[in-house]
Amino acid sequence: MKFVPSVSTALGLLLAVPPIAVTLTVLVFAASERAGYMPLSDGPPRNLAEAAGMADGAAVLRMMASGDDPNRVMPIRPEIISSTVRQVTALEAAVWSRRGQLVRLLDDRGAIVGGTMRRELTCLARDIGTDEVASYLMPSGDPGCEKGQTLERVLARSRSTEPER
Amino acid sequence: MPLTSAARWRLIAYAYGLLVVVGMGYFLLGIPVQLTDSYGNIVKVSNGSFGSLVYGEFYQRSYLRPLLFAQLRFVYDLSGGHYSEWFRAWHVGQVLVLVVLFLRILNPRTAAGAAVVPIGLAMLIGGHTFAGTVREAFPINTFMTIVLCCYAGLDLALGPPRWWRDVAAALLFVFASLTVESGLLLAVIFVAAYAAGARGVSRAGVATIVLLVAGYLYLRFGWLHVGSPSLIERSSGFGFGTLEPDALIARFGERPYLFYAYNVMSSVLTVLFGEPRGGVWELTRALVRDQPAGPGLITMLACAMATAVIAAYVWSRRAEWRGRRFDRSDQTVIVFAAMLIANAVVSYPYTKDVIMSPAGSLFALALAVSARHFIPGRVRLQPDQAPRGVRLQPDRDRAVGWRSSVAAAAFTVLAVTWSYRALDAYLGLRNAGAKARTEWVYADQWFEREGQTLEEPGALALKNQLQTDAILRSPAPPALTGDWLEWFEQ
Repeated sequence: MKFVPSVSTALGLLLAVPPIAVTLTVLVFAASERAGYMPLSDGPPRNLAEAAGMADGAAVLRMMASGDDPNRVMPIRPEIISSTVRQVTALEAAVWSRRGQLVRLLDDRGAIVGGTMRRELTCLARDIGTDEVASYLMPSGDPGCEKGQTLERVLARSRSTEPER
Repeated sequence: MPLTSAARWRLIAYAYGLLVVVGMGYFLLGIPVQLTDSYGNIVKVSNGSFGSLVYGEFYQRSYLRPLLFAQLRFVYDLSGGHYSEWFRAWHVGQVLVLVVLFLRILNPRTAAGAAVVPIGLAMLIGGHTFAGTVREAFPINTFMTIVLCCYAGLDLALGPPRWWRDVAAALLFVFASLTVESGLLLAVIFVAAYAAGARGVSRAGVATIVLLVAGYLYLRFGWLHVGSPSLIERSSGFGFGTLEPDALIARFGERPYLFYAYNVMSSVLTVLFGEPRGGVWELTRALVRDQPAGPGLITMLACAMATAVIAAYVWSRRAEWRGRRFDRSDQTVIVFAAMLIANAVVSYPYTKDVIMSPAGSLFALALAVSARHFIPGRVRLQPDQAPRGVRLQPDRDRAVGWRSSVAAAAFTVLAVTWSYRALDAYLGLRNAGAKARTEWVYADQWFEREGQTLEEPGALALKNQLQTDAILRSPAPPALTGDWLEWFEQ
C-alpha cells in the first residue's frame, strides 16, 4: 500500500505550513532570548558608553543606577559609533547619538560637571554636525571651538589604544 | 479511550492556538505599561471609591464609558500594587480568550478545518486593523475588549438555541456599549446572524438587543445629554496626506458629508484591500512617487487575496444563498459583511486602522471558513486510474481539477503574505515595547512639555513605580538589527 498525497492534503499543507513556520520561528527566537542568546541583534550594550552610543536611554538609566560613571572613558565596539571611535565617555557617546533628549537626561542627572566639560561637548557636537545637541548644551554664546580639534582628540584617544599591527 | 477524529483535529487546532498565544504573550509581556496613554487613567481610577468613579463617568462630556473605568478599577484593585504585572497579564489573557473564541467559532473538526487555523490566526494577529489592539493599552485596550465582545457575541449567536444565550447576549451588549461607543456594533452581529438564520439568540433576544440600542441612545442623548465629540476636531487622513482641523473645515465645512463619505469608503477599502491606511493612500503615493513600497504592497496583496477567496466562496454558494439555505460558514461570512458596513458607517467622522478592528477580526474568520470550503474532500480516482497497490479514497462531492490549481495558487499567495504579516505583528510588538520604555526614560521631560507638575504624593509614587518597572525591573531586550527589517512595516 503506497501513500499518495491527496489534493486536500496538498492544499491544506500549502495553506498551513508557512504560518506554522512563522509561529515556530517566533517561539524558537523567544526561547533563545530567554536563554541569553540574542539572535538578530548586536546584543545588549556592554557598558554605559555603548548604551549612550546606541541611544538606549533605558540602559543608560539602569547602568547609572548601578553606579557607572558617565565621565569615564570606556571601550566600545566598532558598530556602535564608527570603527574609528572606540574609546569614549558616555557623554561623548550620547552626543554622537545625536539625541538632545539623551544628553539632557544625563545633564539632568548631574553628569555634565562644570563649564569646561559643557564647552568640550558642545565643540564635539559642532564637529560632528549635530546642531540639536549643540544648541541644547550651549543655547547662547560662542563656545569658542577650534574646528575639528575636539573630534580629533577623541579619535586620537581611540587610535592610541589600537593594537599595533 | 481513543479520541475520535473530530476530537483529534480539534485538539491539534487548540494546541496550535496555544502556541500562537505563547508567542504573542512573550512579546506582549515585554511591553511596559505606557506613560502617555495609561498613566493618567491609572491615576484617575486610583482616586475615590469604585461606585463614585463609575457614577461620575455617566456624566462626562462627549463620552459615555463608565464600564471602561470600572474594568480599569477592577484590575487596579486586583493587582494589589503590582500594576505592571496585572495590566500586562490582562492583555495576554485577552489574547488567549480571543484565540479560544476564534477556534470555537471556526469549530475545526476535520483535517480541512484544522488546516485553515494557522492562516486564520495569522490573519487575525497580522491584520493591520488588529495591530492597535495589542501594541497599545490604556492600560486595558478597549479596542481589544470590543473585538472580544464581537467574537463572544458571534459565538453566542451561532450556537444552538438556549434561553441563557439571550440573557448573555443582552448582558454582553450592555457591557460593550457602556465600555466604549463602538460596543454598539455588537447589535449588528446579533441582528445579522439572526437574519442569516442563526438561532443561538432567539427573536426575543434580538428584539431585546434592539430595544437596548434604543435605550442607550435615549440614555446618552435624551437623559444624560452626554452628546458626542465634535466631528471635525482632529487631524485626519485624506488623499496622499493628513489634513489639520483648519484645513478640514476649509475644505469640507460647507459639505461635511463628502468628508464622511470618504471616511466610510476608506474604512471599507482598508479592510478589504489594505489601502488606504487611516484615510491616506500610502501605497499609491509610494508607487506614484517611485518610493519603496514593499511592505504596503504585500499587505495589499494579502488583503486583496483574502477578499478574493471570500468572494469566490460567496459565488460558489450562490445557489444556497438564493434559497436562503445558510450554513454556519455562510452565517459567519454574512455577519462579517454586515459588520464591515456598520463598522465603516459608525466610523464616519474619523478613520483609523484600529477603529476597524471589529470588522478586521471577523475578516479573519470569514477567510478561514471560505478557505476551508476550497479544500476538497478525499479524491476519487476512476478504477482504471488507480495505480496498483493504491487504496482508493472516497470522493466527497467536489471535482478536482482546475479549481484545485487555482486554489493552490491562491493559497500560496495567502499563506506567504499573511505569514509575513504575522511576523510583522511580532516585530511591531517588540517595537512597541521599546517605544513604551523610551517614554518612561524621558518621562520628566514629557511632563515638563505637557506643563504637568506631579505634586500629589500618590501620583508621584505611581509614576516612580511604573518607571522603575519599565526601566529597571524588566530591561528591554536588545534592539533587532539588520537590513532585513526594512522589509517590514513594524
